[in-house]
Amino acid sequence: MSAPSTTPSPVTTPRRARVAGRTKLDFWFDAVILLAYTVAYSYGFTGVVIHEWLGIGIGIALLLHLTLHWDWVIRTTRRLFDPRGHDRVIWLVNLALLFAMTLCVASGIAISRVALPELGITTLQTPFWLRLHVLTAEVTVGLVPVHVALRWRWIAGVGRRVLVWRPRGRSR
Amino acid sequence: MKFLRQFAAVVTVVAVVVLLGLAWNRFAPRLPGEGPGGEAVPVQGNMVKALPHAGKLSSGAGPGAHGVLRINGGGALGLDLGDLLQPENLAVLRYTAELEAVIIAAVVIVNASYRSLRRSRRSKTSVPPPRDTDLS
Repeated sequence: MSAPSTTPSPVTTPRRARVAGRTKLDFWFDAVILLAYTVAYSYGFTGVVIHEWLGIGIGIALLLHLTLHWDWVIRTTRRLFDPRGHDRVIWLVNLALLFAMTLCVASGIAISRVALPELGITTLQTPFWLRLHVLTAEVTVGLVPVHVALRWRWIAGVGRRVLVWRPRGRSR
Repeated sequence: MKFLRQFAAVVTVVAVVVLLGLAWNRFAPRLPGEGPGGEAVPVQGNMVKALPHAGKLSSGAGPGAHGVLRINGGGALGLDLGDLLQPENLAVLRYTAELEAVIIAAVVIVNASYRSLRRSRRSKTSVPPPRDTDLS
């Protein structure tokens, strides 16, 4: 459709880096997970039904989140003992978060009183899983913000490009 | 295809963690800082054993994730969405958001300070050699 002559010159048109689709997906998907986690943690706000269904949804979302960043996991794990390797602190925080979040969701499923019984699945309801759920929930509420904050430069950079309103025709 | 392969790897890792949890339950069912049996809390006629964040129930909006807890009869169709907009329940959500914001702010400040300190150290150590001004 556009002839070469009508293509705006890069000199005259202000150029702005476009956000890659994958980066946008990461940004919005992570934002939704954080929001969902914040709501799900606020048990007194949601009540038991929403808390349980949201928790199951977060469990599935975390599997996808981890899959989307699996390359980073492999790359960073390989370079863990490399003296020039970065991201050691982030790797450790993420590992702790993986354990805490997985056990939190698993124990939440084990003690489910509404969601799983609704699907006809009998749950365990033992004191161990109840206490593990409380403990891991307290750990995750400390680790999730750290996990987010350690990437604040990426979030600020992408957020600035994704959230800033751009008048039509100024870029591209 | 790559996505499926990675997804399978993730599921395996998560399954290992869950198995560790099951082994913990089987061989050493004790958690740090907890007495045996857990706490029992009566909630609006229902007995709830140590529900997450429901340790303290108050009539008003107490700080923390604790607060008014309404338990429906059960079932997804029994969702009482009206409770979500109760001001006292919103205080619970606000507390969680504030807690996260404080932790994020603290980590960002520490991280930014550490980066600037490291940058200044690096700039001090990598002083360029003095220029030879003698042009003769």
